[in-house]
Amino acid sequence: MRRTLLAAVASLALALPASAQDGGRMTLQAYAGIFRDNYTQTVVAPFTAARGTAVQYFDGGTSAQMLGALRAQRADPQIDVVIMDVTTAAIACAEGLVEKIDASTLPVIADVDEQGRQAGGECGPAVTYDHLVMVYDSRAVTPAPTSLAAMWAPEHRGRVALSAPPNIQGLALTAILAHANGGNWRNLNAAMPRLRELAPSVQTFDPNPDGYTLILNDQVRFATGWNARAQLYSDQSQGRIGVTLPQEGTVFQINTINLVANAKNRAQGLAFMAHALSPEAQAAFTERMFYGPTNSRAQVSAAALSRTALAPEFRSRVIPLDWSEMVRLRDSWNQRWRREVIAAASR
Amino acid sequence: MIGLLLCLPAALILGLGFVWPVLLLARISFNRTTDMGAMEQAWTLDTYAKIVTDDFTWDLAWNTVTLSAGCAAAAVALALPVTLLIRSADPRWRGLLALLAVAPLLVSGTARVVGWMAILGDQGMINALLTGLGIASDPVRLINNLTGVRIGLTESLMPYCCLVLIAGLSRLDSRLEEAAATLGATRSRTFLRVTLPLAAPALLAAFLLAFVLGVSAFVTPRLMGGGRVFVVATEIFDMALETVDWPAAAALAMLLLGALVLAMVLRGVTAGREAPR
Repeated sequence: MRRTLLAAVASLALALPASAQDGGRMTLQAYAGIFRDNYTQTVVAPFTAARGTAVQYFDGGTSAQMLGALRAQRADPQIDVVIMDVTTAAIACAEGLVEKIDASTLPVIADVDEQGRQAGGECGPAVTYDHLVMVYDSRAVTPAPTSLAAMWAPEHRGRVALSAPPNIQGLALTAILAHANGGNWRNLNAAMPRLRELAPSVQTFDPNPDGYTLILNDQVRFATGWNARAQLYSDQSQGRIGVTLPQEGTVFQINTINLVANAKNRAQGLAFMAHALSPEAQAAFTERMFYGPTNSRAQVSAAALSRTALAPEFRSRVIPLDWSEMVRLRDSWNQRWRREVIAAASR
Repeated sequence: MIGLLLCLPAALILGLGFVWPVLLLARISFNRTTDMGAMEQAWTLDTYAKIVTDDFTWDLAWNTVTLSAGCAAAAVALALPVTLLIRSADPRWRGLLALLAVAPLLVSGTARVVGWMAILGDQGMINALLTGLGIASDPVRLINNLTGVRIGLTESLMPYCCLVLIAGLSRLDSRLEEAAATLGATRSRTFLRVTLPLAAPALLAAFLLAFVLGVSAFVTPRLMGGGRVFVVATEIFDMALETVDWPAAAALAMLLLGALVLAMVLRGVTAGREAPR
């Protein structure tokens, strides 16, 4: 019996990847689903192969859920590195849940572009750029729309899905409309008339499971989305889902990469962050999933770059929205949406 | 003494799984949220004051109570005939019929809501029927609004009402109904003057259970409301997972819990006064 047990233990040890024995292990918390699939293949697996560090990928859900996990584990962190959106990361930074970090600790930060360095504040820098796009049913909407105005067309009444605030897509859309109608993204009054006009055309202000699925199910023709996922779903649907960076402009959604405070595997975590921010990893992930790279030295093909907001032809359309400022405006925008937009849609 | 010992495992589970988390939630509700969303440790009633003085909170409370009460009443009304049918059925079939009545509980609540979304959607069975028969020229909007939430919530509450009513009505003495019939009462009169009054406590219990479940319902309003139906549970979700304002979410949850406990206590006191001495 004892011999059998020893043999089983020995087999288990041999079955473990060499990486887990050589370079230690660490836990990464980031988004689930297609983000996980593609990030694992293009960033995590090469890191493990190169360093021999086993990475446990922990599905974090939304950024808010990841923040919840960090708060719950404050006394005994089980996560070493976390990728989350910039506003939630700022909260984690202010609460001391993630480490303050700079180029002396993580030299690759010097290669991150200025916006990416500033986005993270004193904590982790930006690791991906995404941006708001309009997605549409290319079978039902022809010619391909170039402007958000297409959603206002009477023939699409009841066929629009929007995510209302406090969801950040709703905040982003409002900022874009405010900017398009007066040049200042903070001016909610400039966006409200347009939103009230659109309200009766909106079928749902809370697309479930998401706008892409509703389009594929013939439920709606237009929705808002984030570019990276939209591009991937467009490919997977053989172009059924069309993606437009509207001529009114767009705003960045920024994800930052952070080292958890008192991380158990700090050295491995820092090594992973250095790899994730390296030009090679950044380029590989952009080629695969069309998130814009934050490392200014990343060499991305023209084809992939043209599907991000960093393409030269799109750069001028990016509205410089400050998400930390948006957090302060969020409650009032949320209330105005409920009282003036959603109420208008219910009448 | 043995009775107390036997209760100990359940008390421990309740303490660890309910009382302790509720205490933690209560503690969080006294914290403070900064302008940029960070949570600061504090002992303040500011969050409660902000919630209670916000008109939107009272709109939420009104929406939640009216939606739950309406759906609970509809669920009881729909469950009653089903339960009466089961009661009058051949005893050999009662078990099977009762199982069928509560069978929806065997399926996850989320899966049932998704099923309703497929049935009630623009491309769903109901709209196919309405447009196919020429009753409607365009699909009728049955989801992503209050109508959808009412349908989904009523259906989800019905099995619970059936459970309570099956248990309650099984204790009714059928000889009283037979006596009414012998004395010349019609079936409808017997139902209205004998069965219904006798079933009143069970009906009230079923309504109360459905109401409490309705007040705390989240999945149906969230998935079938299309972002148009605001109830306390969806607001707590938004506060916790969209704006990350945990103190506000915790304070609203504590207020909801307090209101429900108060309602149950009042019901208990009233029931105690009504009970025969």
